[in-house]
Amino acid sequence: MSRLSFRPRPLDIHKKLPIVKSFKDFEDDEAPTSTRNSQILRLAAEADNEVHHVPSKKLAAEIPTPQFVVVDTYERDYSRSFCQPTSYIRARGARAELGEFVEYDLDNEDEDWLEEFNTDKKILTPEKFEALLFKLEVLDHKARERAGVIIPTLGSPIPVLLQLDAAVESLQTQAVQYAVLESVYGYWKEKRERWQKPILRRLQPPPPVNDTNPYNVFRPREKAHRLHTRRMQRRENNVQSFEKLRQVTAIVVPMGGLYECSIRHPHAISNNLDEDEDEEENRH
Amino acid sequence: MGSLDPPSNSQGGKALIHDDDDENHRAASDVRSELSPAANDSAGTPTENDSSKRRKSGVLPLEVGTRVMCRWRDGKYHPVKVIERRKMSSGEPNDYEYYVHYTEFNRRLDEWVKLEQLDLDSVETVVDEKVEDKVTSLKMTRHQKRKIDEIHVEGHEELDAASLREHEEFTKVKNIATIELGRYEIETWYFSPFPPEYNDCTKLYFCEFCLSFMKRKEQLQRHMKKCDLKHPPGDEIYRSGTLSMFEVDGKKNKVYGQNLCYLAKLFLDHKTLYYDVDLFLFYVLCECDDRGCHMVGYFSKEKHSEESYNLACILTLPPYQRKGYGKFLIAFSNVMLLYEIAYELSKKEGKVGTPERPLSDLGLLSYRGYWTRVLLDILKKHKGNISIKELSDMTAIKAEDILSTLQSLELIQYRKGQHVICADPKVLDRHLKAAGRGGLEVDVSKLIWTPYKEQG
Repeated sequence: MSRLSFRPRPLDIHKKLPIVKSFKDFEDDEAPTSTRNSQILRLAAEADNEVHHVPSKKLAAEIPTPQFVVVDTYERDYSRSFCQPTSYIRARGARAELGEFVEYDLDNEDEDWLEEFNTDKKILTPEKFEALLFKLEVLDHKARERAGVIIPTLGSPIPVLLQLDAAVESLQTQAVQYAVLESVYGYWKEKRERWQKPILRRLQPPPPVNDTNPYNVFRPREKAHRLHTRRMQRRENNVQSFEKLRQVTAIVVPMGGLYECSIRHPHAISNNLDEDEDEEENRH
Repeated sequence: MGSLDPPSNSQGGKALIHDDDDENHRAASDVRSELSPAANDSAGTPTENDSSKRRKSGVLPLEVGTRVMCRWRDGKYHPVKVIERRKMSSGEPNDYEYYVHYTEFNRRLDEWVKLEQLDLDSVETVVDEKVEDKVTSLKMTRHQKRKIDEIHVEGHEELDAASLREHEEFTKVKNIATIELGRYEIETWYFSPFPPEYNDCTKLYFCEFCLSFMKRKEQLQRHMKKCDLKHPPGDEIYRSGTLSMFEVDGKKNKVYGQNLCYLAKLFLDHKTLYYDVDLFLFYVLCECDDRGCHMVGYFSKEKHSEESYNLACILTLPPYQRKGYGKFLIAFSNVMLLYEIAYELSKKEGKVGTPERPLSDLGLLSYRGYWTRVLLDILKKHKGNISIKELSDMTAIKAEDILSTLQSLELIQYRKGQHVICADPKVLDRHLKAAGRGGLEVDVSKLIWTPYKEQG
């Protein structure tokens, strides 16, 4: 068998290509080239038949991946209290905006300090301590907002503006003794001075765009100048939007068993979706 | 037998493998020839064990870049390269742990190993001679060739050498080794850039609903008492049986979006968290039960993509892999794309989608399977001729992806002066079988969703 040495022309994606169901279609005696080609194709097909081509499956089985185990305390830690509503769940506002939820979680040094603080007597519960730290953060943020010193990105150390007496006054409703509040405030202020930024993640400004340190993440993206703005269209539960949805599903057609979809008659899509209504009759 | 002292003139460092990044490859001297087996130790006649031990201790501690055989979790020895090392607190001079990369496998298997897992007899001493690379016919050193082969094997082809090196530099060692997320404790695959406060720990505990992460189990348990979230924040846009899809806007749920990125990065290699989550949408796939909606995987999508990427990152969490969720995510992202096209009507004819590159090895497999199924289904039924462009219009798959898929399956042939598409039903069926059928179906009647819409 001689080696094919021609170079095919680059494939034109707009050109319609014949779909060849069987190699017999291309067998003819006209030119020696075609015979040679069809011979090669037949040989290739035979080879194909002999070698069971399952490259993707084989590869998948061969890719070893790290492992996992079941956590034995899971069923105890996560309660069975979820009741799925019959309608699809709609987002409520972010928890931060609703204001009640304590977004801060004690970290290692907080816990260690608290254990020390509570050595002789259980003065402060972890939950209370956590809530106090959270409120101190929020109060300090508000103080900085009022002073107009909130920066959009992290350039320089962020100092504490909240003073002890202002904190005590705002936290009167927390029903915590002054001495305890003073200790917590002192601990929090010292931690803030070490960290040089808020300890509540939501309040930490992102790194500046020109920060090249690869370990720093979530820089603000420069907004490209756009002529058109896109907005998210919130789905309304009305007849109009469901009608639109129905029209869309008429065009996006499932193939076979609802698994993959294709667009039916893409060139028939016109400005007015309603024109496709008569095509719906031909759907099945 | 008495204990053996290490040789006073420690030659271990010098004798070992040179730095990979060093352009001028020095020929490394042969360790074994320097430690003469004829030397007597204090115990008298040298036994094979003694000289072998002396030889082995001579190479310690291993230098970064050393190649050696290492016992993996399957009990067998595999070739590794030492990426990093750290002294153990015991203070013994040669008491180190080594962070190794298994050269046959992806970087996700990299891990810290103990000295006893390494076969010191296999420490490589290589004279870096020039060999010819068969693919490119270039002459290069064996070292350079091996590096290229490894890059090729691991699926890094799409990154150029410079970015690859840069990427590997700061991500070379996993920081977090294990996480607890809901029901599972999972070994991580890659480095993730958690805030510096988390540099000192190797295990993190995640709340499985809001994805807050903590360093101690007690902290998570305390968090669970107050956290009332039982599903991802955001709108549920799909529900079929126990499967639900939630759409989360990175702008409205910033901390959640960031937490999800930190978590996902543990299992994705070439992605970065360079930019903030505001401009992304996250589609979180969940299995629901009476404890809540548990994330099994997700994909992210830019709100506006310049390069017509319809998908940025895609991940099925390790405990849920090989169950069809990945296929579902791909199919779902494509249905969304088709909806976008349908909504935008003729203004966007020819709109296509493609996943952001680089794709991971698992990602490419999944996509190839998806493209194969969609395209071959059409080819089986289609009558008459068809152009690649038409296939693209019907499926919203990018022409390049269609071409590469058909070419990799060898379905495009050039004969009689033109290209043809081979659609022998037996051949197609074999490819379809290999691509894998089944998996979870996207029931479009259960999708209630409106894509972003252009205004003005």
